Amino acid sequence: MKTPAFEVHMPKTLDHALEIAKDLHEGGHDFDWISGGTDLIPNYKWGINPKSHVISMSGVSELEGISTTRIGAMVRLQDIVESSVAHPLIVEAAGTIASVMIRRSGTLGGNLCLDTRCFWLNQSETWRKSIDYCHKCDEGTGADCRVIPNQNELCVATYQGDLAPALMCLDAQIHLASHRGTRSMPLEDFFQEDGITRNVLETGEIVTHIQLPENSADFIGSYQKLRLREAWDFPEGGVAFSVGVSADGSVSTINMASTGFESIPRKHKELIESLDKGPNWALEAERLGAELKRAVRPVLNTWFPPAYRKKMASVLARRAMEETSKRVTSG
Amino acid sequence: MPEDKKEIVGYRQQPGKLDFTRPGSGGSSPKSEKRDLEMIPQSQGGKMGQPWGPHRHDNLVTGRIIGKRTPLIDSRWKVTGQAVYGDDVRLPGEIIGRLVRSDRHYAKVLSIDMTDVESIPGVLATATGIDAPSAFGVLPVTKDEHAMALEKVRHIGDIVACVAAEDEETARLAAAAVRIEYQDLEPIFDMRDGLKDSPDPIHDRGRYHIGESNVQKRVFQRFGRISDIKNSIASYDNEWTFKGVNHGFTEPHAVVAHWDPRGRLTLYTPQQVPHYVHRALADVLDIPMHQINVHRTYVGGGFGGKSDPFPHEMCAAILARKSGRPVRITFDREEVFWTNRGRHPSRISMAIHADKEGRFSGIQTDALIDGGGFASFGHVTTYYNGVLHTAPYEIGAFHYTGARVWTNKPASGAMRGHGAVNSRCAVEVGIDHISEELGVDPIDLRLANLLPPHSATITGFRVTSIGMRECLERVRKESGWDKKFRRMPLGKGIGVGCGFFISGSGLPIHWDPNKFPHATVHLKIDMDGGVTIHTGAADIGQGSDTVVGQAVAEVLGLPMDMIRIRSKESDTSPVDLGSYSSRVTFMNANAAVSAAMEIRSELIEAASLITGVETSGLVLGDRRIFNKKDPAVGVSYLQALHKAQEDKGALVASGSYRTPPMGKMHKGAAAGLAPAYSFSAYVAEVDVDIETGRIKVEKVWAAHDCGKALNPLSVEGQIIGSCHMGLGQVISEEMQYGRTGNLLNPDLLGYKIPTVHEMPEVVPIIVESNDPEGPFGAKEAGEGPLLPILPAVCNAVYDAIGVRNNELPLTPDRLYRSIEKACRQRGIKDPRDLPNPSLELTSLSDKLIRRAKDHAKRDRERRLDPNPDAYYNGQLFNRHATGPPEENDPNWTVQVLPDQEYLENPKLAGSAWLHKERRHMEGAE
Repeated sequence: MKTPAFEVHMPKTLDHALEIAKDLHEGGHDFDWISGGTDLIPNYKWGINPKSHVISMSGVSELEGISTTRIGAMVRLQDIVESSVAHPLIVEAAGTIASVMIRRSGTLGGNLCLDTRCFWLNQSETWRKSIDYCHKCDEGTGADCRVIPNQNELCVATYQGDLAPALMCLDAQIHLASHRGTRSMPLEDFFQEDGITRNVLETGEIVTHIQLPENSADFIGSYQKLRLREAWDFPEGGVAFSVGVSADGSVSTINMASTGFESIPRKHKELIESLDKGPNWALEAERLGAELKRAVRPVLNTWFPPAYRKKMASVLARRAMEETSKRVTSG
Repeated sequence: MPEDKKEIVGYRQQPGKLDFTRPGSGGSSPKSEKRDLEMIPQSQGGKMGQPWGPHRHDNLVTGRIIGKRTPLIDSRWKVTGQAVYGDDVRLPGEIIGRLVRSDRHYAKVLSIDMTDVESIPGVLATATGIDAPSAFGVLPVTKDEHAMALEKVRHIGDIVACVAAEDEETARLAAAAVRIEYQDLEPIFDMRDGLKDSPDPIHDRGRYHIGESNVQKRVFQRFGRISDIKNSIASYDNEWTFKGVNHGFTEPHAVVAHWDPRGRLTLYTPQQVPHYVHRALADVLDIPMHQINVHRTYVGGGFGGKSDPFPHEMCAAILARKSGRPVRITFDREEVFWTNRGRHPSRISMAIHADKEGRFSGIQTDALIDGGGFASFGHVTTYYNGVLHTAPYEIGAFHYTGARVWTNKPASGAMRGHGAVNSRCAVEVGIDHISEELGVDPIDLRLANLLPPHSATITGFRVTSIGMRECLERVRKESGWDKKFRRMPLGKGIGVGCGFFISGSGLPIHWDPNKFPHATVHLKIDMDGGVTIHTGAADIGQGSDTVVGQAVAEVLGLPMDMIRIRSKESDTSPVDLGSYSSRVTFMNANAAVSAAMEIRSELIEAASLITGVETSGLVLGDRRIFNKKDPAVGVSYLQALHKAQEDKGALVASGSYRTPPMGKMHKGAAAGLAPAYSFSAYVAEVDVDIETGRIKVEKVWAAHDCGKALNPLSVEGQIIGSCHMGLGQVISEEMQYGRTGNLLNPDLLGYKIPTVHEMPEVVPIIVESNDPEGPFGAKEAGEGPLLPILPAVCNAVYDAIGVRNNELPLTPDRLYRSIEKACRQRGIKDPRDLPNPSLELTSLSDKLIRRAKDHAKRDRERRLDPNPDAYYNGQLFNRHATGPPEENDPNWTVQVLPDQEYLENPKLAGSAWLHKERRHMEGAE
């Protein structure tokens, strides 16, 4: 495999980075942001939408830093795993990502912006040519989607980041910046269908950090991940669950979010609404699991068949809830 | 001063006056160690116990190195990064070659246009199929490969052309600029379609083509009295599906070709079988073999996947010849999958029957295997799927039908445990099922049905040493089997599986074994005292250099640091059949021993001349030759060596090994024939997540009979490594083909090799049955240990959750599907409520235990008896006394062609026999 040639820009400040982005955009040049590169570079090697310019954020110190309420986009995943201040739910989810070596390179921002995946897409050039390419990377052929043919509109590539559901369960806000200014939003609003669009980022815009509410330490939760091997593999389905526990021990909020089932991770507010917040909330694990199973719509483009992933959604949800309950009880 | 003592000025170094090395014993330690009697066999007056009797090599044992944990002699090169693998070779002026591969499944190549390529600056050579039209293939009977496609491409990734350029980027650019015009043909992906007639068979075998089908090879074998199967009281009959798996070695294929200034070709390649490449290069390049030097680099894992001569090796040589520059080609991982030669995807129907005595009255196997685009080793694989499960059990009747078909997928070939793995898994799971039907413990059932040492299998294989019983007994004891089997809670389980494998193939592929030996080893010792071993055995990481070195060091009483191996180049190595079919330890170490014996006699002769002690009274110890009765009387190795070298300089010797005459005469009788066989038994303990179908293998007790562990360190390594590789096939690895026939996971993220998290603790248990013909008693340990892990895990999963499966790999989604099915059948909603299987012993159990005890006694007697009576499979059924069944049993049948009755209702693979070969068709000449 040979990485196609590209020009690397190495800004030292966020402002400089955003300016480079603006200039490239206005000059009609395509570019990508790169942080750890563990997702982007393999795709480049496979010839999947490589760009001729890449802006590296590795020298931008504003995007570093980790505290109980703020994690910079450039924080390495393994630093989260080893952090004593990061929320245990984030630590748990980060600890399931890929392998230690990859986590030492990969970052929070990169994981959140992870490109969607599909086995008709994540292949070499010769391979993709043999199926006449696909909608997400059509090489100018106007190719159809290979998962759900004859629609040619929607890309159903799967989002397989692990951190998003954990962060959603902690009510995280995501902060973005571009030369036009900054903005922020609840993390669940950051993601946007479909597999090509992925999120709300506009050209030249970048994730700077995520912010957790002041009371995030009151959240107790669990992340359950479905995969074939306990290292390397992306989630074939992942469910995070959390409860906010008040000072008197009662449950104030309940959150559930999932990843790996569709083109975007989802926070399942509608499923949680009906849940009893009383002391017996955990008894509804079975029902909630069944509801999540009905709610997710996986397709055949990852390792496990969709029917299995759908069924496992209920097991993951129930286990996430049961584990949370256990953790609440054990304090 | 007498005349002869006069000093000659300026001519001090008179021959014979000065030692070439300082006097001493040689080696890095100045002192000779004492003979360690614990390492000398009892038969030679030592203290090493010999529960399996003496061995023909006992008198060669110096107690130095055999049986000791010996680090591989190339390990320091590897751990310090100094080992030169295929892609590490750097030659002055080298350029980069790139292969142009088909993006079609199956198509005629109409034209190849190089116009755009030739105009790219930096492109130095291009080639297409017409540059090398000669066919080649690993087996002489099925040469169906070319350097590049001649008329057709047969799978995505098949090579159509190649280019060479100054650098990789230009080469890739050039490869992409080749314009190929194809005419698509109808591809087939399902192996069952390969059995049908096709308008465009993937290959054309001419007169020998089987109908108009894609059947490449078919086998029919029927031994024994099939009618007896009717008397069975327990049966297992199931259809298995095995997905194809790839070797997953670390090092992708890489090759460098260089035509030197004299016009000779040197090919640097990580090959398991340099000799076959040597032959194929001569054919394809149309030059004599002596003009080619095949240089085996370090091999970063082979497992069967680097034992064919490969098209890319030919392409590199062709490009180098055209450009006049050394050409290097290194594969991407995807290209490794396209080259494949992995284990065949298979559909195996396995029926096993047991009679009221708890004997296996018959095994009926039908195996259809998917060969992909080329023949490779498939001819042999087709036989192995049957014949390699005719032991270790005595069976009443054996009926095997097998067929291998071409499909438009990467070629399958030989992979660790070649041809034996899948059907063995089905057999052992079948036995587990039968033991349940009979109400007996599966280990008891096995122990009461084993062939004894020195016996013949149903198809006539000669089995010498058998450590099967000990393997089973050891794993039973060490795993705590009797307390665990059928007694663990839902989700926890334990299972057993056995294995049987060849230790070297009885027949060399390319020549008559009565003419040339299987293996040859040369030794050379010059005045420095170091021993240079020339062998063509390919060290592929399994430690073949080390074992050959050990054999020589042991016989000569030398430390390993005095041994030097030259095994890399065909220019300096004797011809060798390479590292496959688990032959190296058995054959090359035997050849090395016989070469070392020659040197040893010369040393003893010399020592006798110096000491005056009779040669018969001298023994070798650590760098010393001395009087057995009075060890103070002796000479150092170097003294003896220099004495022996008088008048002739370096000592040289050549040793070889050939198999004894054996086997029967029926068609296919040679397949599976080996000078010795290895045996193994594993117990696996698993934890099954019944809600997700995920299997976690917790621990494996792995007993393997390797005859004699020449190097216990590497035997254990092979056992543990085999467990890892087999585990992949049973829980996660598969070459996944999508609905379009494309391989969906040609990369190591998608191809799921177990990680360290999936790897269980493995307790390697070495059983030493002291094979009479193996070097110092040794047999193979490289492939056999892979076999039992698959059925052991499958059977453990059944013990854990009571659900049988017949599809591998047993990925969570597949297992979950069977769990759901079991729940539906039992009317259970929650899988957590599934019942555990239980064991209720019947009266047969005691009978089997008694029989096993009798057999244990019989086997002990037979293995110690220097001339045991002949024993033929079938004596357990009281059919015949001591003669071969075909001479003693009037109802015995041996049939290698189907009869009309069979053809009226053939099994799946057996239906390949419905076709006639073209030469037998009406109107054929």
